[in-house]
Amino acid sequence: MNKRSRGGAILWRTIASAAVLASLLLLFGFAYAVSDILRPPALVLGTEPPLAGQQPQLGAKEELKIVAIGDSLTKGTGDATGEGYVRRVVAGLSQKLGNRVKLVNNVAINGLRTDQLIDKLQQDAGMQYALKQADLILFTIGGNDLSKLAQTALRTDSGTADFGAEEIGNQLSDGLGRLDQVFQLVNRANPDARVVYVGLYNPFYPIPELRSGSLQVQKWNDKAYELSFSYPNMKLVPIFDLFEDEAGTYLASDRFHPNSEGYAHIAERIVQMLH
Amino acid sequence: MSNLLPLIQNETLKIWKKKRFFVILFILAILIPIFTYAQMRMAENNKDKFTDWRSQLIQQIADYQNALTSDRIPEEWKQYRRIMVQQLTYYLENDVDPSAPNAVTFTRGFMNNAVTLFIPLLVLAIGSDLISGERSSGTIKMLLTRPVRRWKILLSKLVALIFYISLTIISTLILCYAISGVFFGYGGWKLPVFTGFIINGAEVDTSGVHAVPHWLYILMQAGLAWFSAVIVGLLAMMVSVLVRSTAASIVTMMATIIAGTILSNMAAAWDSAKYIFSVNLQLTSYLEGAPPPIEGMTMLFSVGVLAVWGLIALIISFGVFTKQDILN
Repeated sequence: MNKRSRGGAILWRTIASAAVLASLLLLFGFAYAVSDILRPPALVLGTEPPLAGQQPQLGAKEELKIVAIGDSLTKGTGDATGEGYVRRVVAGLSQKLGNRVKLVNNVAINGLRTDQLIDKLQQDAGMQYALKQADLILFTIGGNDLSKLAQTALRTDSGTADFGAEEIGNQLSDGLGRLDQVFQLVNRANPDARVVYVGLYNPFYPIPELRSGSLQVQKWNDKAYELSFSYPNMKLVPIFDLFEDEAGTYLASDRFHPNSEGYAHIAERIVQMLH
Repeated sequence: MSNLLPLIQNETLKIWKKKRFFVILFILAILIPIFTYAQMRMAENNKDKFTDWRSQLIQQIADYQNALTSDRIPEEWKQYRRIMVQQLTYYLENDVDPSAPNAVTFTRGFMNNAVTLFIPLLVLAIGSDLISGERSSGTIKMLLTRPVRRWKILLSKLVALIFYISLTIISTLILCYAISGVFFGYGGWKLPVFTGFIINGAEVDTSGVHAVPHWLYILMQAGLAWFSAVIVGLLAMMVSVLVRSTAASIVTMMATIIAGTILSNMAAAWDSAKYIFSVNLQLTSYLEGAPPPIEGMTMLFSVGVLAVWGLIALIISFGVFTKQDILN
């Protein structure tokens, strides 16, 4: 009986001291957390030196690193398989070149326009970092600028035709001005990388009233080619002809984005021109 | 006061002998390896896909931004994603990996997820039969016929309960760290973690953000989890005083806690739900700057709401227990 109660006393002391210690520790943690949230310490990050920001080197190209930026086309919207052209290019290139090809990032965002891409290129540290790592940059942009134009055209169609044409012309040249800026910024972010700009197509070709939009698209592509020509690493891949088809064979069900077959053909072209 | 200590000793040993605490340790020892394995698989998967953590972070940000462009996603979710984008960008710009794989990161993640449901469940395992257990076994008569004031008996039970809550949380931390360290390595104590993100609607105010070493973050997190757990314990004690059977007491508490978890996911638009205690349990999310379940909730608010609930529970438990007739 006596022995048992002594054992009990030892057990009690152990539990109690552990528990009291734990309680005090946790109480301190709680109090610290509350005070930390309520009165954040004045010392903010800037005073500390930033952590070692080692930039991984480009290195020998036993591994080809691909970064994709741009709009929904690069994202792969409309592709039921989810591959888009980017993943197909990755697969195609690794087959063609026989070395390891890795998609570092696909940071394309649905609905992105040239002005938004410019913002991102200038301010988004993540995009800068991604681009710096790349050996090959794939990108699409301008489709959303132009489809906005198409909507303007639809609206002004019934009204004064002259104003519509002039307005469209202005917007087109504005858009191209921004495209020029995009090219510059991409080139500045990583002057050594090969850059592939995928040209635009007219998704509205199957609609007879909007077929003439192809002419605007072609103006864009023509100017884009001119702009890209001054950068030795930059190439424009045309894809407009794939979609000049009344039945819209390569268009997804939204009648705007390519379907998986369409993406497969886009990828084919890119793989063809890269060596 | 002099006879309070033996009472506490008695109650503490009683709970110990019921072996509930061992059950808790056993549950933890089974569950933590499972979660560790899941985490490890995820980390391996990411390692294959991304060149480094920055790429992973960049992709995560891009994915969130794409979700923002979708019309199919409800506005509240978009808000969450906007906040996440800003936070992750902050980590990226300051070149800190928010989820560097190590045992401390795992412990942090586990605690953060455990605080609303898992830890309360463990607390209930001990707290729910505090009084009702005595009643169903009939020992309550022996307890109350002794020449001790009733409030002292209840207080000693309460202190014993808090002891075990503290032990449970510390054991969770230790087991988490010890088990996950086998797979992830035991480092990471000094890694900086950002805290102090202030959320205003969809915007994140980073002016108060400061880096905290990982160990301090864990301690703060554990402290907040402990506070939540103690409130759950107080409420469990109250229910245990009011309800006769232990089963009924556990079910009542579980139902309210689960209801709170569901509410915090579903009722972002129902403003007054923020006064329900179980919606406020996730205090740790204020530390990491996750958006609150209902807009406008702050750490101080949640702590206040929980404290009021705890206080009411205390008043009711002591009020009822000291006056209650003990019948069969």
